[in-house]
Amino acid sequence: MLMEGDSSLKVDVMGKTDWRTEAKNQVRVCLLSVKYNIMREMINKVTFLTNICFMILNNASFLVQWAILFRLKEDIGGYTFKEVMLLWGLSAGSYGLSHIFFARVFSLPELIINGKLDAYLVLPKNVLLQVMTSSTRTSAIGDLIYGLIIICFSDLSFGKVLLFLLFTVTGALIITAFALLMGSLSFWFVRMEIFGNQMLNALVSFATYPDGIFKGAVKFLLYFIIPTGMMVYLPVHVITDFDLRGLLVVFGYALLLSAVSVTVFYRGLRRYSSGNLMEARI
Amino acid sequence: MRKYAVIYRSVLMENLQYAANIALGFVSYFIFIFVFINLWGYMYAEPGTRIGGYTKEQMIWYAMITEMIWFGARSGTVAGQASSDIRGGNIAYLMNKPYHYTLYILTRYTGEWSIRLPMYMVLAVAVGITMVGQLPGFGLPALFASAVSILLGITINGVFKLCISLMSFWIEDSTPFQWLYDKLILILGTVFPIEIFPKALQPLIRLTPIYTVCYGPAKLVVDFHGDQYLEILMAQLLYLAVGCGLMFFVYGKGVKKLYVNGG
Repeated sequence: MLMEGDSSLKVDVMGKTDWRTEAKNQVRVCLLSVKYNIMREMINKVTFLTNICFMILNNASFLVQWAILFRLKEDIGGYTFKEVMLLWGLSAGSYGLSHIFFARVFSLPELIINGKLDAYLVLPKNVLLQVMTSSTRTSAIGDLIYGLIIICFSDLSFGKVLLFLLFTVTGALIITAFALLMGSLSFWFVRMEIFGNQMLNALVSFATYPDGIFKGAVKFLLYFIIPTGMMVYLPVHVITDFDLRGLLVVFGYALLLSAVSVTVFYRGLRRYSSGNLMEARI
Repeated sequence: MRKYAVIYRSVLMENLQYAANIALGFVSYFIFIFVFINLWGYMYAEPGTRIGGYTKEQMIWYAMITEMIWFGARSGTVAGQASSDIRGGNIAYLMNKPYHYTLYILTRYTGEWSIRLPMYMVLAVAVGITMVGQLPGFGLPALFASAVSILLGITINGVFKLCISLMSFWIEDSTPFQWLYDKLILILGTVFPIEIFPKALQPLIRLTPIYTVCYGPAKLVVDFHGDQYLEILMAQLLYLAVGCGLMFFVYGKGVKKLYVNGG
């Protein structure tokens, strides 16, 4: 019930909420949700910090692999060592950002199959955003920090740093949208989570190797079927050699994929049937 | 020993039911191998090139064998289950059973890879022959030697992963340490052989589990020499003895620290 003078919701004369206020409230709820996820993870501070630090070390260990490979050849797939680091930074940053804010998307099939979406359907806010922001992966903070460390050491100009940060956001959007699309298939097909996981694994695995080593149909596959190209390859090319068209393509693709995945999710939600599972979300 | 044989048999039967699920993991294996084929194809652009004494075919087969060991030995038992048993208190029930907890976990692990490894082996051979070609010089002695070495390597891997899980007696979550161990093996051990590392680092790498878990078995497959076989075998037996000693020691110390809250 709205009290007089309550400024959190603006209601017009027809009783409809102003969409801008609604959007603002939605974002605030999402941010609070992520904040509480992180606070929950921080209950055991040692485990929390160990997870973050070791993930940074984990990612950094790949530097050794690439340093050794670059001893054998000066450029690999048209990439120098610095560009491979950029690729790594962008991959880790995008993956980290996505798993900090939207980690639950990656376990969406489990919610669908086990009928665990009920708890979100009765909430007075957007179902999808509530689901997506209901969990945070601690180690993803380490991934994001690693991405930021990479740009600190990569000697980029201010403009390129901005581009890097921008592409980290579009990359996170692409990986989240792709996970949502794959996860939503579980509304229609049984055991689709295995296929979805394989596709996501492929997206991440390819994202840490230069696209120049792949040829022909595989390259097409990496740009248009598994969106690794739009997530990291094209952004790295735009950062190293600015191209406005490339920038717009990445933006357009991120928006299009997001729109498609959200549509597929809501289409699928119509088919959702409850598992009558009684459980408490704490 | 009979009780362990019964545990092994039951895990084997249980895992046979999920053979189809294991086969779905082939896609990930194939992706890795596909990436390596492309990567090494690029590195060996000029025909006849040898890197670290390896031909292109040997290098790709090396990666395929190490990845086969890696995927075949993947187990939630030595890493996840042991750690959660300790954290969740389930160990209080398991340690009172008429078996040694660590050997129980290792037996379960053996039951798991007994199904996974042969499946990945068939896949590796099929992918290798169709996409890379036959391995020159691979005969019966190499087959026998590498089979023994692979089994020992997988067991050593299980023992070390269990040792890391047993750290949960002191720290709540040992997962980050598992990541580091996995990355040590995966990044430094599976992509390329020790000969590719800078000369100064090679003796150091030979002292790590990489030598006994990945490098040794794969080296015997791609480039078999009798004298090297003995060297690798001795190193593996030594590593296994030290690893088991460490495992029993850590477990013995850990259970003394155990607090179980009723519930």
